[in-house]
Amino acid sequence: MSALLRRIAWHWRYDEKRELWIGWWTLVVFYNLYGLLFFVVARTQPPPKPSLEPSEIVQWFDDRHYGLLFGYAIVFIVGGATAIMNATLAYTMRRMSVSRAFAYSYLVIYALATLPGMLIMGVACTVGAMRPDRDPELMSWLYDFAFLSFEGTMGVFLIGSLVWMVAVLLDRNRVFPKWFGYLNLCNALTEVVVAPAWIFKRGAFAWDGAIAWWINMAVFVTYTAVFLTLLRRMILREDFGSGPLPDLPR
Amino acid sequence: MTNAANTQPRPRFVPGQPDMWAFVLFEALVFTAYFVVYVVRRTQSPELFLESQAHLDLRVGVFHTLVLLASSWSVARCVQAARERSFRTALTNAFLTLLLGFVFLVSKVLEWAAKIEEGFGFTSDEFFSFYYFLTAIHFLHLLIGFGVLAICVHQLWSPARRSQETIETCATYWHTIDFLWVLIFALLYVMR
Repeated sequence: MSALLRRIAWHWRYDEKRELWIGWWTLVVFYNLYGLLFFVVARTQPPPKPSLEPSEIVQWFDDRHYGLLFGYAIVFIVGGATAIMNATLAYTMRRMSVSRAFAYSYLVIYALATLPGMLIMGVACTVGAMRPDRDPELMSWLYDFAFLSFEGTMGVFLIGSLVWMVAVLLDRNRVFPKWFGYLNLCNALTEVVVAPAWIFKRGAFAWDGAIAWWINMAVFVTYTAVFLTLLRRMILREDFGSGPLPDLPR
Repeated sequence: MTNAANTQPRPRFVPGQPDMWAFVLFEALVFTAYFVVYVVRRTQSPELFLESQAHLDLRVGVFHTLVLLASSWSVARCVQAARERSFRTALTNAFLTLLLGFVFLVSKVLEWAAKIEEGFGFTSDEFFSFYYFLTAIHFLHLLIGFGVLAICVHQLWSPARRSQETIETCATYWHTIDFLWVLIFALLYVMR
């Protein structure tokens, strides 16, 4: 333990990539925490059925009363970390040979994604959990608002992935491999298939469906694991120059 | 053999960028997942799916398949001509591929319009939900394919560009569209 602390202290004092590592660790910790809070504490993911009756929705809020309040309270506290995460990802585009416009658009679009995908959903869920004796129709409204708000981020992720894809494919500094550019396209295309969630309440295309949620989530988790790995490699290769990134030392 | 080794500075395992093959693999996995969901849902209500499937015209499906197979053939000829440095022929074949892609696009839109007019929309029943979903997501790949072919034409147009690797990468993408369609055709139109 003390060896680990000494190592951290050394990096804090002398590592010239300190800020980049803070950004990377923020991403890793945040995604793990996000998974824990949404899947285990608040239990809002995997999403419940969109076809629930108002009385069942009241029961759903009641079952998760403390989980929703406690889980989203932490989400609201750590939500600001997305600024550090987005800045780290935008940094990769600033290190590329492409226009700065890519990094700026990425920053703006992901700053927007935080609002519907995390904060609005959290507000709607906690409002529902705070006073469970409300009119069941009002609880249904909050329930739909929360989950459709979450689905609403998909368009933002779609454009964000496309921005990253074009930047990677045009880049001559070899910041990321070209296949990661194509993987961005795969991720963007799976965001499109969420759109029918606004139409269906049951089946594969509903917000809890096999296509609109499960496959999409599998692709997103793979994509996230890949970009975290590639980002770590990019930081290790970073030479703070402006030309092509050197290869990782063998 | 010696000449071939001289003209190719590094060993090539696949045509075009190997990175594009990663895309093909990943898309194949994602579509396989869609197909598995379709087949599972189909086994749960076989009668509904069979009844709705009967409203699709197999001849239209065959026509779409033939058009896309022809476009795969023309894009392969484009690559072959570019390898032989016959860029005019390569360009002609690239335009032919674009034309065939456009024929598919128009024909698919007409098929959708006809089905909607007959009263079969996205929400009519589960079969038609899958029909519109699978054909639409494929259509989206086709639209991207037009952009990819535009890059291919752009490369062939000027002697200053003509990157064989880029041309082959574009062709690989186009073949993927064809490959995915053949599977969609088999599942939606043929499988009983």
